[in-house]
Amino acid sequence: MKIKITTVYVDDQEKALRFYTEVLGFVKKNDFSQGPYRWLTVASAEEPDGTELQLALNNNPAAKAWQQASFQQNQPAAMFFTDDLQADYERMKASGAEFTMPPTDVTASKIAMVKDTCGNLIQLTQLMWKG
Amino acid sequence: MTDQTQYAPASAFGAEIRKDPGDTWTLVLVRELRHPPAMVWEALTDPAQLAEWAPFDADRNMATAGPVKITMARTPKPTFFETAVKRAQAPSLREAGVLEFSWGGSDLRWRLEPLGTGTRLTLWHGIDRRFIAWGAAGWHICIDVLDRLLGRNPVGRIAGTDAMKFGWQRLVSEYSQQFGLETRSETPNLPAQQSQES
Repeated sequence: MKIKITTVYVDDQEKALRFYTEVLGFVKKNDFSQGPYRWLTVASAEEPDGTELQLALNNNPAAKAWQQASFQQNQPAAMFFTDDLQADYERMKASGAEFTMPPTDVTASKIAMVKDTCGNLIQLTQLMWKG
Repeated sequence: MTDQTQYAPASAFGAEIRKDPGDTWTLVLVRELRHPPAMVWEALTDPAQLAEWAPFDADRNMATAGPVKITMARTPKPTFFETAVKRAQAPSLREAGVLEFSWGGSDLRWRLEPLGTGTRLTLWHGIDRRFIAWGAAGWHICIDVLDRLLGRNPVGRIAGTDAMKFGWQRLVSEYSQQFGLETRSETPNLPAQQSQES
């Protein structure tokens, strides 16, 4: 058994694809449609066969409510790890990303929070303590 | 039930695409069925029959306007839409049948006109242009399955990745060509194991 996929709900899959590929730097992995349904996933460019992130349309009331409540409570919908948070921060800022928290030192790591343009906060983490 | 392996779709036919005002497109698919409008109407609205051919299930009979919960068949994750039947006009001797509902973000309309002892069935489906040939290929197969159901020779629902085993890719490239769409960009980017099955 493997952890192969995790999901974020987005309010617009096309906009999400732009953010997660062009701004965040992931690559599109799977994209297919069945009527109004679209299965869309991205993966890390550094690890294209690694865990996939499904960009799922928040087209039901529970998904919308959960997404909005999480956002209002400042809870990230997903967390990605980087080896150089400052560099990613600069690069993404240059691509127009809107950060709600710049790189900040916290226990054992440095974190930043960015809006994914589709209703979510995404946390970027760089581990500073290697045990 | 007839063995599904007996089924193979014919070449692409009877479809066109139309650009709507704005940036959206509509797939228009026309089929001539051997069965009368009243029978086709039942198959388009009765949940038990939808389960035999449609790419979705409905939580109520769709023959009246109002809210309906539509659950997609065989999507990679269970998916449903709380949506509504906008117009439901059963076919009569004088008037064509019309069934209109939204299906997720897209609008879907059926028209059932008498054609001899059979039915001219027209489908309008508002669909993303990139996936329009996929939609045409999918509906082509679904309506074939519907036709066999009405002919009491059911082959069972073919939806989602099942369609891959029944010439769906060939239909996609044929419809892409007929619609004047770039086929390369329409090539599905599917998970490896599903591509291998096809």
